[in-house]
Amino acid sequence: MTLLDISRYTLDLPDGTRLLDGVSLSVAAGETVGLVGESGSGKSLTARSVIGLQPRGATTTGSVRLDGREVLGAPVGDLLTLRRSSAGMVFQDPRAGINPVRTIGDHLTETLRLVERRSAADAEARAIELLRAVRLPRPEDHLRQYPHELSGGMLQRVMIAGALTSSPRLLICDEPTTALDVTTQAEIIAVLGEQRATRGMGMLFITHDLNLAASICGRVYVMNAGRIEEEGDARQVFRDPQAPYTRRLVAATPTIAVAQPAAAGTAADATTDVAADAAPAPHPPVDTAPHVDLSPPVDLMLDVRSLSKTYRMHGKPPVHAVVDATIEIARGGALAVVGESGSGKSTLARMIVGLEAADAGDILVDGAARTGVPRSRAERLAHSRSVQMVFQDPYLSLDPRIPAGRAIEDALRLHSTLSTRDARTRVLDLLEQVGLGERHAPARPRTLSGGQRQRVAIARALAIEPDVLVMDEATSALDVSVQAQVLDLVARIRRERGLTVLFISHDLAVVRRVCEQTVVMRNGEIVERGATAALLEQPQHPYTRLLLDSVPRPDWDLDALAAIDRTEGIPA
Amino acid sequence: MTTFRRVAGKLGALLLTLFLASVLVFFSRFLVPGDPISFLLRGRKPSPEAVAQVTAQYGLDLPPWQQYLNWLAGILHGDFGRSLQFRQDVSVVIGERLPVTLGLVIMAGTMIAVVGLIAGAIAALNRGRVLDRAVLVGLTVLGAIPSFVGSIVLIAVFAVQLGWFPSFGSGEGFWDTVYHLVLPSIALAIVFVVLIGKVTRSSMVDQLGREHVEVATSRGLTRGTIIRRHVFRNAIGPILTVSGLLVAGLLVASSIVEAAFGLAGIGSLLVQSVDRLDFPVVQAIVLLIVSAFVVVNAIIDILEPWIDPRSAAGAGAR
Amino acid sequence: MTTPTMAVKVLRAPRVRRGNISFNLSLAVLAVMTLAAVFAPLIAPYDPDAVDFAAIYSGPTPAHWLGTDALGRDTLSRMIFGARTALLGPLLVVVSSTIVGILLGLLAGWRGGWIDSVLGRIFDVIFAFPALLIAIMAVALFGKGLVAPVIAMSIAYAPFVARLTRTLVASERSRPYVAAYRVQGFSGGWIALRRVLPNVTPIVGAQSTLNFGYVLAELAALSFLGLGVQAPTADWGAMINEAQAGLMGGYFLPAIVPAMAVVIVVVAVNVIGEELSDRIGGGIPA
Repeated sequence: MTLLDISRYTLDLPDGTRLLDGVSLSVAAGETVGLVGESGSGKSLTARSVIGLQPRGATTTGSVRLDGREVLGAPVGDLLTLRRSSAGMVFQDPRAGINPVRTIGDHLTETLRLVERRSAADAEARAIELLRAVRLPRPEDHLRQYPHELSGGMLQRVMIAGALTSSPRLLICDEPTTALDVTTQAEIIAVLGEQRATRGMGMLFITHDLNLAASICGRVYVMNAGRIEEEGDARQVFRDPQAPYTRRLVAATPTIAVAQPAAAGTAADATTDVAADAAPAPHPPVDTAPHVDLSPPVDLMLDVRSLSKTYRMHGKPPVHAVVDATIEIARGGALAVVGESGSGKSTLARMIVGLEAADAGDILVDGAARTGVPRSRAERLAHSRSVQMVFQDPYLSLDPRIPAGRAIEDALRLHSTLSTRDARTRVLDLLEQVGLGERHAPARPRTLSGGQRQRVAIARALAIEPDVLVMDEATSALDVSVQAQVLDLVARIRRERGLTVLFISHDLAVVRRVCEQTVVMRNGEIVERGATAALLEQPQHPYTRLLLDSVPRPDWDLDALAAIDRTEGIPA
Repeated sequence: MTTFRRVAGKLGALLLTLFLASVLVFFSRFLVPGDPISFLLRGRKPSPEAVAQVTAQYGLDLPPWQQYLNWLAGILHGDFGRSLQFRQDVSVVIGERLPVTLGLVIMAGTMIAVVGLIAGAIAALNRGRVLDRAVLVGLTVLGAIPSFVGSIVLIAVFAVQLGWFPSFGSGEGFWDTVYHLVLPSIALAIVFVVLIGKVTRSSMVDQLGREHVEVATSRGLTRGTIIRRHVFRNAIGPILTVSGLLVAGLLVASSIVEAAFGLAGIGSLLVQSVDRLDFPVVQAIVLLIVSAFVVVNAIIDILEPWIDPRSAAGAGAR
Repeated sequence: MTTPTMAVKVLRAPRVRRGNISFNLSLAVLAVMTLAAVFAPLIAPYDPDAVDFAAIYSGPTPAHWLGTDALGRDTLSRMIFGARTALLGPLLVVVSSTIVGILLGLLAGWRGGWIDSVLGRIFDVIFAFPALLIAIMAVALFGKGLVAPVIAMSIAYAPFVARLTRTLVASERSRPYVAAYRVQGFSGGWIALRRVLPNVTPIVGAQSTLNFGYVLAELAALSFLGLGVQAPTADWGAMINEAQAGLMGGYFLPAIVPAMAVVIVVVAVNVIGEELSDRIGGGIPA
């Protein structure tokens, strides 16, 4: 039976902008349907429309039928009924989605008490039951807690429990795991799958992650610019995309599978497999134990020895952000540091670029000591010529007031005595190298897209001609197609300049595309290291295995994942 | 952090601020060049006995820090010194006039809260519409009417032209006093309404755009419930903070209104004492106003975790 | 934030682009007032202090457009001359408090640590003294007039500017673009003065514009209380003070004219300040 039936749904803003254009999709009871697209594709808007959350003043045509009733133009009373009984929604960011000044218990029992008029005790019993269903450890205690006392993953379970209070027939999930770490994502997905199965709900799952959609959905719809580009069996679409947009999307999507899907050939910019392409790895192959190899191999460019950093906050237990970390990169090599949030990977990067002082250990770049925060002018300049960094969020890492060309020129002129004219020429040269042009030079960051900004950031780093380039989650804020382009750019620069790269990332699939060597960090410690391909194929450390198992892929076995005991076998 | 430790910390900060404020108030006198006797007895023709008496009373022959400690010790016992113009204890002079000012401030404060909250809420719930614009324009105009302008306009229209309200004095008995204070408190309230109105509006608009409101909507709660439980409840924090800041402004501005309406409150006493060079009274009133402000804000600060549970954990308000 | 809801977010907070009529009108009002203040002797029809007992409490007539006061002085002329003190005082206060406040705020926000704590504590204490109260105290100490109150109010307003600057600078300092400058090898001082300061100054400046209105009203209040500008000098607050006696007799004009002048200028300044805040605030990512 069809729960949700959207047909030829079009939405226009008052100013005439068409955000959705003839969208048709359906979800049947017991079915999981994916809605995949990049930012701005209209997927979230479509999902919100199902429960009548259109933007104010928008005009709509077509129909959105939920549980047999028309949503578009429905009176407020009908909408309330639909929201109370037919559909529940799980939003992306539980931190923003749960009222921070009210308790978890209040959030869960609110609708039960105010809408279903249940008694406080009755509502609380039901809330505890739901919290148990989403596998929270101490339901009774959680009821009295405030959102800020729970982790993101736990809060997302609360959000799911909240959506389930009304026993909806359709559960809409809008990027429910995007803000979470990959292992937490796997747990949440498992909970969602379990609840969908036991309740026989239909599920509409919105995501930007094609791998995730292919892993858990029966059917998927691929959206782009307000239109449905393709629909069909999830794995079929993933393996053999028909629409040109879907092909590009699939090609751009990194995967941890060592054999690339066949579709890769149709990529817009032929994606380069850096691991095979770049300088051959001079490292000894697999070195799985986290011990320190003291015999230095040939020509180390970056040599980090036993680096440690502990944060001591007043009145709180000390946080060991980085513990005895040793990494080495040969000249022209690329090393990935992989870990989840809180693993210490970013602190490691910040110490290497001189933004934070290490408590212990040494950093050598091309043989020169670069430990500590540089003080004098000479130290600063020397340090920055040794290491440059590209930051995660291109929206924040460029000065909003400074035009792109000027930003690069500033960096150039700090490190050289070029005449204004030569500097200008060099700026244009650098912009060209990163795939931008003269017209981008006078542009303020605000007017550039995310990908363009990240290119400017890379050009700015290259202007200084550093020995080592650190990329701290440099592509994780970008859409996959843009990410693919930036990764290609990095690969090209490595080829052309023999640049040494330290690549910090949470995403194993991206790492596989960029780096020949990888270390895995957890709670400040390096738990495994080795050649990327070997590490992905035969992970030695249980945590690496867990990370790999948590990455969604079409042949994902959620039950097996749920069976892995997360607490044992992984030294904390 | 435990509640006890947090409250103790806040109280410590409160005492420190009060101490520093008292130091400022006391030692401000030393900014004036020349000898303290001629400063204190400016504009008077003191007899040698009077000079000797004032010198002894203020311990002007003692070192400054000793003078300060004596002064502070006196204040802690309720002794603010003697008024030069009334030849009475400052505490008595102030005590007689405090009720009028308190009445004025309470009435004005109530008006500000009621009008400001309603106007702000109406604007927020109609954001972007004509009603929102109208309320904002109204608030901006009200915010540009200082108390003295409000006073003379109200006197001209409602006291002189229409004769509905008295324009002078504070009346006898409770209801008469309230009646007498209607125009003064309106004059006092006008300029401050805009602050509460605008913070209410912006705070509620901020919450209305938050995802937790959307989540509440998606769960089928009615608009009224959402506005009450999620929008307004979350908007209280900033409103309360601004309200705390108003306290000092109200107390000071009451001097203008009291002067305009001939009310015998501490505001008009302050002005009169400045005019008549009665420095001990000035010092006492300044310290009183400052202390009231600091204490009210400390209370609001201490209440904060009940308004926003995140602040207790030091997670920072977002 | 990652992918999804950019469009939804933009739509969720509909922004009304205010018509610029009120903004331009306010600029015009302020320009006229400034010109009137500067060229008062050329514009004013009468000497502001010229007493004319033949024309006491004259209503609006062709000879006296806005009437005369209890001494037969021309209200329009006095209003025009009154614009001088009315505008000059706030200008001095706003300029000096802004400069001092920005420097202290930059110091506190950029350096952090104990400097921040100490300055923060000092600001907290000064906050407890409302500007008008500090001005009244200054008069009590140094005598009537505008000099002491203007200095006192500069001190009173500087912490507001400093705190705002501090908050903005501290938040800028934690932004990745500042870290990026550091990694490129720029010195902290250069980043603070050449990059962060210009980024926060427009916001602080817009806020200071709003302070102008408050200061104007407060200095006028001081004169109204008889503690600021002294009679017979033409000043809006002092004019209202002098005209109070006439109110009971139904002679409203000598009081209402300067009162309206205060209101109109404050409205104009606030409209300009708010519009500037809106425009500038919109350009910088929060």
